[in-house]
Amino acid sequence: MKMKKKWLTSLVLTVGVGLLVSACGTGGNQASSGSGTAGGGTAEKVYVVGTDAAYPPFQMLEADNKITGHDIDVLNAIAEAGGFKVEWKNTGWDPLFDGLDRGTVDIGISSITITEERKKKYDFSEPYFEANQLILVAEDSPVNKLDDLKGKKIGVQGATTGGEVVKKAFGDTYQGLKEYDDMPSAVDDFFNGRVDAVVGDNGVIQYYVKKIKDKKFKLIKDDSFEKEYYGIMVKKGNTEILNKINDGLKKIKENGKLQEIYNQYFNKE
Amino acid sequence: MGTLLGLFISLGKQSSKAWLRIPSAIYVELFRGTPMLVQILLIHFAVIPSIWEVFFPGQSSPEAIYSGMIALSLNAAAYIAEIFRAGIQSIDPGQMEAARSLGMTKGMAMRLIVIPQAFTRMLPALGNEFISLLKDSSLTAVIATPELNYAAMSVAKSTLERYPPYLTEAAVYLVLTLFLSRIVVRGLEKKYSTK
Repeated sequence: MKMKKKWLTSLVLTVGVGLLVSACGTGGNQASSGSGTAGGGTAEKVYVVGTDAAYPPFQMLEADNKITGHDIDVLNAIAEAGGFKVEWKNTGWDPLFDGLDRGTVDIGISSITITEERKKKYDFSEPYFEANQLILVAEDSPVNKLDDLKGKKIGVQGATTGGEVVKKAFGDTYQGLKEYDDMPSAVDDFFNGRVDAVVGDNGVIQYYVKKIKDKKFKLIKDDSFEKEYYGIMVKKGNTEILNKINDGLKKIKENGKLQEIYNQYFNKE
Repeated sequence: MGTLLGLFISLGKQSSKAWLRIPSAIYVELFRGTPMLVQILLIHFAVIPSIWEVFFPGQSSPEAIYSGMIALSLNAAAYIAEIFRAGIQSIDPGQMEAARSLGMTKGMAMRLIVIPQAFTRMLPALGNEFISLLKDSSLTAVIATPELNYAAMSVAKSTLERYPPYLTEAAVYLVLTLFLSRIVVRGLEKKYSTK
C-alpha cells in the first residue's frame, strides 16, 4: 500500500510539472527583436527601464526569462532612434513606481495610461499608443453599442477601464457584470457561452482573438468610450531623458517604425 | 453531495475488490494532492466546456456557480473519504465479526452496525472539514462566481479601499464558521453522544 501511494504521488507530481512546463511553452511565440544596441559613445549612461511583464502582448515574459512585447519593441526602437542605451528590468507594477521614486529605475513603460493623477507625480512622454474599449459579442448578435448590452451578462477584467465603463453605464451593482482576474478568462467564458459579451482594452482583446481566429465573433467600437493614451513615464523633472525619449518617439512615428511594430502585434482594423 | 460521494469512495477504498479499491485510491490522491485552486480553474475552463462541447454542442456551458459547486464537492469528497475510513477502521473488527455471526450480510453489518458507531467518532473531523470547505468556497471568486469573496474583491478593486471590504468579508466568514462549529457541530455531537 505504501509503495502504491508513493507511485501515485510521483504520478501526480509528474503530471503537475508537465502541465507547468507546457503552459510556459505556449507563453509566447513572438521572437524578441534586438535590444537597444545601437547608440553613441561607449561612456554613455545606460538607462534602466522597468516594466511589469504580465500584460501580453504589450509586455510579457518568455520561457527563457526574456521580456518581450509591443512596448519592449517600441522602447528599443525609441532608444535606437534617440541614441541612448537601455537595460531591461522586470520590476512588477507597484515596484515600478517605487523604483522611479527612488531612482533605481529611470524609465517606466508598461502600458501605463496617462492620467491626471499620475501626471502630478511623474512626467510622461508623448503618447505612443491609443487605447479604447472594444465590445466582443457573437457574430449574429444585434448589439451595436454599449447600451444594447443592458440586461446581458458582461465579462470584464476586474479593476480595468472595461469594468468601469460597464459600471458607469449600468450602475455599480449591475447583476450581469462578471469581473475576471484576467482578460483571457473572460474571453474563454465568452466562447463557453457563460457571458454574452466582453468589454476590454483593444490591445489585449485584439491580440487574444487573433489567436483564435476560427471562432465566430465580432468586435464593436462604441465611440462614447473615452480614449486613453499610453505614455512612457519618468521621474518628475527628469527632462534630460524625457527629451531623448520624445525625440526618438517622434522619429519612429515619422519613419513608420511605430506603425510597423503595431502591425506586428495587432490586426489592422 | 461531497459527503455521499466521500462515503462511497471510502467504502471503495476498503473494498476487497481491486476494481473498486484502486480507482478510489487514485481519486483520493488526485484530489487531495492537487491545489483546490487548480482544480477549480481546470474544471471551470477546461473540463466542463469540453464535456458540453461533446454532449450538448451549441449550448452554453453552465455558469460559474455550478463549476464551483462541482469542484468543491469533488475535492471535499476526497477528504471526507479519508475521514470515513478513519472512522470505520476505528471500530473494533469484533463488531463486524459479531454482526456477521448473527447472520447479517457484509453490507447490512456495515450499514446497521459499523457506520452508525463510526459516525459519532467522525463528527469532530467532519465538522472540521465543513468549516474548511466553507472557507475554501472563497477560492471560487477566481472564476467570477458571485460569492462573498468575489464581492469583496470587486469592491476593493473599484474603491481602492482594502480594509473595509476584506475585514467585512472576514467577519461574515467568522460568523458563519462560528455558527457551524458552535451550534451545528456541537449540537450534533451532543445528539449522537454515547455518554
